[in-house]
Amino acid sequence: MFRAPLTKVIQGRFGSPTHGITSKAIRSSAALSQTPAKAPEKIEVFVDDVSVKVLPGTTVLQACAVAGVEIPRFCYHERLSVAGNCRMCLVEVEKSPKPVAACAMPVMKGWRIKTNSEMTRKAREGVMEFLLMNHPLDCPICDQGGECDLQDQAMAFGSDRSRFTDINHTGKRAVEDKNFGPLVKGIMTRCIHCTRCVRFACEVAGVEDLGTTGRGNDMQIGTYVEKLFLSELSGNVIDLCPVGALTSKPYSFVARPWEIRKVSSIDVLDAVGSNIVVSTRTNEVLRIVPRENEDINEEWLADKSRFACDGLKRQRLVAPMVRMPNGELQAVEWEGALISVAKAIKDAKGAVAAIAGQLVDVESLVALKDLLNRNGGETLCTEQNFNVKGSGSDLRSNYVCNTTIADLEQADAVLLIGTNPRYEAPLINTRLRKSYINNEMDIASIGPKIDLSYNHQNLGEDAGLISQVCNGGHPFSKVLENAKKPAIVLGANVLERPDAAGIHTTVASYCKKLNKQGWNAFNVLQNNAGQTGALDVGYQPGTQAALKAQPKVLILLGADGGKVDREKLPKDCYVIYIGHHGDNGASIADAVLPGAAYTEKQAIYVNTEGRAQQTLAAVSPPGMAREDWKILRALSEILGTPLPYDNLDDLRNRIEDIAPHLVRFGKLESSTFGNLTEQLATSKSIENTKIDVKQKKLREYFMTDPISRASPTMARCVREVSGEEAKEESQRQAAC
Amino acid sequence: MISSCASKSINLVRGGMRAIATSAVQRSDHLFVHRDTPEDNPNIKFEFTPENKKRVEAIISIYPEGYKRAAMIPLLDLAQRQYGWLPISAMQKVAEILEVSHMRVYEVATFYTMFLRKPTGKYHIQVCTTTPCWLRGSDEIMECCKKTLGVEVGEMTKDGLFTISEVECLGACVNAPMVAINDDYYEDLTAKDMQQILADFKAGKPSPPGPRNGRYASEPAGEPSSLTEEPKGPGFGLQPALA
Amino acid sequence: MAGREAVRKAVQQVRPILSVDREEARKRALNLYKAWYRQIPYIVMDYDIPKSVEECRAKLREEFERHRNVTDVRVVDMLVIKGQMELKETVEIWKQKGHIMRYWKESQDPKPTDFLSKFLQGVN
Repeated sequence: MFRAPLTKVIQGRFGSPTHGITSKAIRSSAALSQTPAKAPEKIEVFVDDVSVKVLPGTTVLQACAVAGVEIPRFCYHERLSVAGNCRMCLVEVEKSPKPVAACAMPVMKGWRIKTNSEMTRKAREGVMEFLLMNHPLDCPICDQGGECDLQDQAMAFGSDRSRFTDINHTGKRAVEDKNFGPLVKGIMTRCIHCTRCVRFACEVAGVEDLGTTGRGNDMQIGTYVEKLFLSELSGNVIDLCPVGALTSKPYSFVARPWEIRKVSSIDVLDAVGSNIVVSTRTNEVLRIVPRENEDINEEWLADKSRFACDGLKRQRLVAPMVRMPNGELQAVEWEGALISVAKAIKDAKGAVAAIAGQLVDVESLVALKDLLNRNGGETLCTEQNFNVKGSGSDLRSNYVCNTTIADLEQADAVLLIGTNPRYEAPLINTRLRKSYINNEMDIASIGPKIDLSYNHQNLGEDAGLISQVCNGGHPFSKVLENAKKPAIVLGANVLERPDAAGIHTTVASYCKKLNKQGWNAFNVLQNNAGQTGALDVGYQPGTQAALKAQPKVLILLGADGGKVDREKLPKDCYVIYIGHHGDNGASIADAVLPGAAYTEKQAIYVNTEGRAQQTLAAVSPPGMAREDWKILRALSEILGTPLPYDNLDDLRNRIEDIAPHLVRFGKLESSTFGNLTEQLATSKSIENTKIDVKQKKLREYFMTDPISRASPTMARCVREVSGEEAKEESQRQAAC
Repeated sequence: MISSCASKSINLVRGGMRAIATSAVQRSDHLFVHRDTPEDNPNIKFEFTPENKKRVEAIISIYPEGYKRAAMIPLLDLAQRQYGWLPISAMQKVAEILEVSHMRVYEVATFYTMFLRKPTGKYHIQVCTTTPCWLRGSDEIMECCKKTLGVEVGEMTKDGLFTISEVECLGACVNAPMVAINDDYYEDLTAKDMQQILADFKAGKPSPPGPRNGRYASEPAGEPSSLTEEPKGPGFGLQPALA
Repeated sequence: MAGREAVRKAVQQVRPILSVDREEARKRALNLYKAWYRQIPYIVMDYDIPKSVEECRAKLREEFERHRNVTDVRVVDMLVIKGQMELKETVEIWKQKGHIMRYWKESQDPKPTDFLSKFLQGVN
């Protein structure tokens, strides 16, 4: 009946201590009150005469969940603070004269809770009637229809008839619609004032723009002034809204929940590896919603991952193409394309190099490596650099988030170097924010001044600060060294700098000092979904190697970052592009082989903490596009060096031979040998130049890869958000 | 015939269920979203006066460290007293002083009806129309105000001096009918009194607040009707055995 | 062991469909063949198909030859019954031209089995 079962709240953490309080004094007192007393004794309560033992402080609703009874609710959400304003969770407690709000009332010893008594049922029916009295009867044209909590609960707990008679024809309450931006559609007449969106914006997203104005019958949810809801997590209020007040704008009037087919998959538009559900109908991806995974994305999803899916239908490569003598790419049959590509590779006699891009899966990486190795090529690299000499990408702990995403939540001192997690990995930023609120985390950043949605200390932009902090000479070093669980997060872009090796070694050896038993402080925050996997299977980071080799044939496997261009390659170099979007890579290619996007193949991706997960095929690739590894397998056969796998299982076996952790989906393999980094290091020098991050403003967040660049929704986001940001900027200047 | 049968049977089906007697839902005539107007927009600067700045500090110092935001209502009130009403820039100023987001201040300012979010005259005439005042002739008072000032309820006179609003009980029922002009209560009014009061305000010499029928406060008009004799001494009325 | 199996087979009684032995079944098949053979000129004429009588007779023979190694009496009977039904439908012009021409249409293309042809055809 309810989409989110409650049982998981029960395991451990009670209550939602995420009140959005900015002041430090309050935070400390709140934290103090949370520190649990020594092993509190469990108390016994009875839910429908079934005895349950719960910790003191457990609410009635949680106690009922332990007993397996689900209480209906609208405003209560286990990841948000308790509001207690919808009154749907009223239950009878014996000897209590009135029904109690289960979500907010802590249980007392020996309470007998009756979840199905006459009083409880009457209370629910009454609340339901009041809610429906001011709720429009527009379910047939409402996008929430079919997945609406109000609909479901009205069926289950409401009265079977209506007493609503509008004898004065005054109509129901009506509220003006608000403009929440390009992603969220607000139809505020449907709002039942649960304030979940307000609490989410304030507690999780850290954007205090939403609120309730007015009171009583005139209460409204909104921003009061004309203002967009500018957040990289705005899409989550759509999932949170129990009614159709906040729905998805790009998905409006598209499909009903019972028409769609749902496929569980993994998101690849950032390196977090959020778990998603892809909804499809008639071989078309309609929307993407988050799937729960406590270790990674909890139940949130970043906007780009959620809304860029319409980019999967635009700018797609649907047929193999070969560049004709007149310089135009012409669509040809697979056979012809493969033969001309194979001929070029044959002619190159081993002078073949390959560059893997941002969204590449492990299968095609392995197939490409096998193919090249069989044809005398050794130069395989990733498009994104990881300029670390010495141990480099040989040690896995050098390039993953060793602390792990879930554990970052427990950190109490964090230093961010050259990264803006808010836009590079929004869901990691929510973890940091949570830690900021609950653990009084001290957070500092080296890099440009950015808004992280929580207060942090900006140490400066100069790279020299890194060695200062790591030598212990900076005030923040004290904070890190005194912390119980310190963490340092290095942005992937910092490690593209020429002095990356120095930065990496300095930080890594400092982290060695900070590490505790069972706690690794060293993190590299990747921002490309394919990078960790590519480094795991032995690709060289950075395009220099490929360019230096001056290859006769260059294979771009989804390399769309624009780091390779014709000028840097020999004149007669034959460029082959394998990928799914007509972007930078395809435009410089001599042959284009259309591949499959992440929703169209069953493929392995490794996220920034080194967790391998697989996507499942939700739709089939468009036109003549094929799965990337199959293209390489077919090419190998035409080259006369067939790869020894014909199907995915064989290929996965091959992957298991290379790197067994890559096929243990969802498991996290901890990295070893992290201590060797320092000994293998070649340089520790850091240049005193400025550290920059690529995504500073929200408008820079939306388009970072071929899929989101092709997405009309993302384009609309960029347009509207830049407009709003410019407006705010001018207002701020006028105020000064 | 058939329809009457039908309605009977429906009543039978409904059984004990009572149909809700609906009356028109009362809705506020205030707007709970902000619209930029020439009088009220974020570009209009608002700054506390130097003496009010001192008051601001004094108000904030009442609350413990970290609970600065508790000073929100006093500060909004202060801003309203300074400006006459509460423009959006004043709300934003308060938010900046208290280091909270703008929205948190808007929420409070829209919740309380005594925060006036639209231009209001120098003298805010709040006519009580709740039952006791109404029974004692608040309609006349209201009519008199409207006629004398030439504006409707919720409107401001052109000279910016007066705004009339209709309010619910202000707790002076014993002196009904009454109006509150800014912070002062004018009680036991007649239409003539009201005219006089308005004329005084227009002339710039505010009339003294209080009852207008010669009473000092809320004592009975004329002679007391009970408890008129001397209070009896101790032991009065006790049975002889106890005395 | 083998002996017992043979005995079981010999003893086993199956209910015949039409024919009691192979000879009778053969006769029925031959009769069906002859009936078709004689009707072919009329079929060609009635349906106005772009095939000559000879071609049709060759096809008729081919269709019968397809089942030449059927030995089970009951299967033969079943095929004969089906053939008779076909014949009746054809002669009564319950069919259309396309139905007749379908005898000359090859059945499905063989599915590719090796990786490359599967890849080129886009089948999994």
